[in-house]
Formats: sequence, structure tokens, C-alpha cells
Amino acid sequence: MDNSGKEKEAMALVAEAEKKMKSSQSFFGAMFGGSSKTEEACDMYVRAANMYKMAKNWCGKNNTEKNDAMNVPLLGQFTFVLRNNFFLSAAGNAFSQAAHLHLQMQSKHDAATNFIDAGNAFKKADPQEAINCLNRAIEIYTDMGRFTIAAKHHITIAEIYETEMVDIEKAIAHYEQAADYYKGEESTSSANKCLLKVATYAAQLEQYPKAIEIYEQVGTYAMDSTLLKYSAKDHFFKAALCHFSVDMLNAKLAVQKYEEMFPAFSDSRECKLLKKLLDAYEEQNVEAYTDSVKEFDTISRLDQWLTTMLLRIKKTIQEDESDLR
Amino acid sequence: MSSDFEAYEQDFGTLTAEVTNKIGRIPKLSGEEKTQLVLNVDKQLEEVRELLEQMDLEAREIPIQSRAMYNSRLKSYKQEVEKLEKDFKRSRIAYSDEVRNELLGDEASSSENQLIKLREERAHLLDNTEKLERSSRRLEAGYQIAVETEQVGQEILSNLNSDREKIQRARERLRETDANLGKSSRILTGMLRRKYKK
Repeated sequence: MDNSGKEKEAMALVAEAEKKMKSSQSFFGAMFGGSSKTEEACDMYVRAANMYKMAKNWCGKNNTEKNDAMNVPLLGQFTFVLRNNFFLSAAGNAFSQAAHLHLQMQSKHDAATNFIDAGNAFKKADPQEAINCLNRAIEIYTDMGRFTIAAKHHITIAEIYETEMVDIEKAIAHYEQAADYYKGEESTSSANKCLLKVATYAAQLEQYPKAIEIYEQVGTYAMDSTLLKYSAKDHFFKAALCHFSVDMLNAKLAVQKYEEMFPAFSDSRECKLLKKLLDAYEEQNVEAYTDSVKEFDTISRLDQWLTTMLLRIKKTIQEDESDLR
Repeated sequence: MSSDFEAYEQDFGTLTAEVTNKIGRIPKLSGEEKTQLVLNVDKQLEEVRELLEQMDLEAREIPIQSRAMYNSRLKSYKQEVEKLEKDFKRSRIAYSDEVRNELLGDEASSSENQLIKLREERAHLLDNTEKLERSSRRLEAGYQIAVETEQVGQEILSNLNSDREKIQRARERLRETDANLGKSSRILTGMLRRKYKK
């Protein structure tokens, strides 16, 4: 297979690039002397990184053998990198070296693109490193005023926090940032997408006012658009559920308000379910509540978020019941 | 004059009610009772017809202005009587249940046959209920699928919306780039010209 060849090539390229850097008397903190040399060095780093990426896909067991071979010929800062088992980290590192060089050459665009590539490569290996690279890329983009792309990468970071590092607070922060940038660039639908995610997580973390506001906002916006009005009722339903978790009276008023604003809402099954739940809550009747939820579930399955919220509300009913006793 | 007419109407009403009642009963009876009843009904129909004639005479003595109402009432009564006569005729030739039972089997009234019939009917009804349940289950499944389709549709629509915005943005940027390129080409030609002027 090609893999061993590719890796060797990659390593060779990296070594060459390193040498070029040294020969033009620029160490890493470096200089402008021999800019063409730095460009070539950048180029080589990029190619090396690509080869590492390719090598990852095909190499499996040969990893460990290669490692020893790698440690030997290379100098200085590279050995610590290459001792890693993950070629993707190597790829990512190569990309970030390239990006640094580009920064020195004042070509911000290229630097940013290379940081993004580094981030992608690190995503599979080391999430933290990936987030660092992406953050730097975002800084560069916002500096240049390219907010759309910055927003897109905020979303990527938020996704990493969601999945690999499970830090929901930070994920929310990034999604919010992304939504703000999108709003600034007048792409309301992308902004709405991010805001919806923020709202889902906020509600999960019991930050209800924020979630309510977002859902109402998105719902009102959706009402007016021909394409989106069929999803509007879903948003109002979620907003009403959040109201419900806070306080029942709020929920009642909210449901009335939404019906006024959006007549089609009252015909939807969700609205009917809400009314039944409100009644059951008033009567403190847990069985009626469970029955109506079950009925709704038979028609359209309740997803994770909905089940959590409904369960919370149900618990409050049961608490109230036990309080009365 | 009109009070007589109303009295006649009342008599007419009571007689026709009795006649209808008896006509209803005739098919179920047989033999002596039947002939008795038939004669009875016949007599009553004669009385009814006499009443009608009287009403007619009365109506003619009423002044022309109010005659129209009475005339229309008379007409409807006549139609009623004709209908009763037709029903009467039909009832005399109608087959009673008894006759039917005689034809279709002697033990029709025996309890065993009745049990068998009841059991068959029960099975039939259970079948029907099952069919209905099956169809309602299918309808529910269909409804579920419809709801799912709606949700999928919602997602697709929102995707379309965001794609729309992206395309619009891209188009704007393209136009900008085009304008910029135009500008730069103009500047370059300007530079060339200046160079050649010298």
C-alpha cells in the first residue's frame, strides 16, 4: 500500500521545510528575509500535512514501527510532535506551522484557512487543540470583518463542545455568538437555527426565561414566512412548555396569546395537548396528565427534550400533591 | 260556517288515525280477526269519504276570499284518504310474517332454531366489530405517517429557507466581485495608457 511511502514523503517534506526555515535564518519566531523561501516552506508544510492526513486513512498497524523511524532523523521542535501516535495530530501540527508562517508573511486569509484545516485535523485526535486553532482562526476572520465565516466556525466549536467535550455552557456561549454574527449579517434563518439550539440547551439547564424569549421570537418570525409557518406551531408549543415549567398561570396566558397571534395554532394537536395538561395540572390529577401524554405519544413519538420537560412538569404536580397531604 | 268545517276536520283526523292503526295491524293477523278488521276499516273509510264531501260543500259556501285556504286543506285531505286506501289494499294482499314462517320452515318458532340463529348473528356481529377495529387501526397508522411526513416537510422547508438566504448572499457577493473586477480592469487599462503616454 501507499501508506508507508506517503508517511515517509510527509516526513521528508517536513524536514525540508524545516531546513528551509533554518537556512533563511528564520527560526520560528522569525524574519522577513527570504520571503519566497518562507512561502515555499509554507507550501511544503501544507503538502506534508495533507500526506499525513492521507496516511491516517490507510495505515493501521504500521504505526508503531514508523514511530521509531521517525524519531531519528528530525531535529528540534519536531520530535515532540512526531512522537505522537496520531498522524492526524501531526497533520494538524503541520497545518498550524504553515498557518504561523502565513501570519508572519501577513497573508491573513491563508493563515486563517490553515488554522481551520489544523482545527479539522485535530478534531478527531485532540479536541482541545482543535478548539484553540479554531479560536485563533475566528480571531483572524473577525479582524478582517468576515463575520459569516467566523459564525460558521463558532458553530463548529460549539458542536465539538456538545459532542466530544460535553461542556454545555460553553457550547451555548458559542452558539449565541454565532447567532449574533449571523444576525449582524442579516442571515436570519441561520441565526434562528443557532438560537434554537441555544434555547434547547438553556431549557435543559433550566434557564427558562432565555429559552422562552428565543422560542417566542423565532415563532413570531416564522409565522410571517410562507415557508416556515408550518414550524411556527412547534416553536409556540415549546415556548408554552417552558412557561409551564416556570408557572402555570404564565402558561395559560401564553397559550391564549399564541392563539390570538396565530389562529392555526389552536387547531394543532399540540395545542390540544397543552390545554389538557393545563387542566390536569389545575386539578392536580397525575393520571389525567399521564394519559394525555401517552395519547399524544402514540401518534407522534416524544423526543428526548420533550420527555424531559414533561417529566419535570409532572414532578411538580406530584410535589404539589404531596404538599397538600 | 267555518266552525262546522273545523269540527269535520277533527273527526277526519281521529278517523284517519284509527284507520292507519288498523291497517298496520292487518298483515299480522289472519283468519277471522283479519276479515273483521278488514270490514271495520272499510266502514271507516266510507265515513271518511262522506266527511270529505261534507267539507267540500261547506267550503263552497264560504266567501271567495277565505276559500283558498280551505281548498288547499281539502286537497291535502283527499290525498291522505287516497293514500290510506292504497295502503289498505296493499295490506290485504301483504304477506304476514306468519305466512313467511310457514313457508320457510315449520320449526321457525322453536327455541332451538332461535338459538342457532342468535349464535350466527353474534358471530356475524363479532366479525363486523373486528373489521371495524382493523380499519381504525389502519387509519391511525395512516395518521401517524401523515404526521411524520408533516414533520419531515417542516424540516425540509426550513432547510430550503436557509439555502435561499445563502444563495441570495452568494449572488450579492458575486455582483460585488464583478463590480470590483470591472473597476480593477479599468484602473489597469488606465495605468497602461499612462505608461504608453510617456
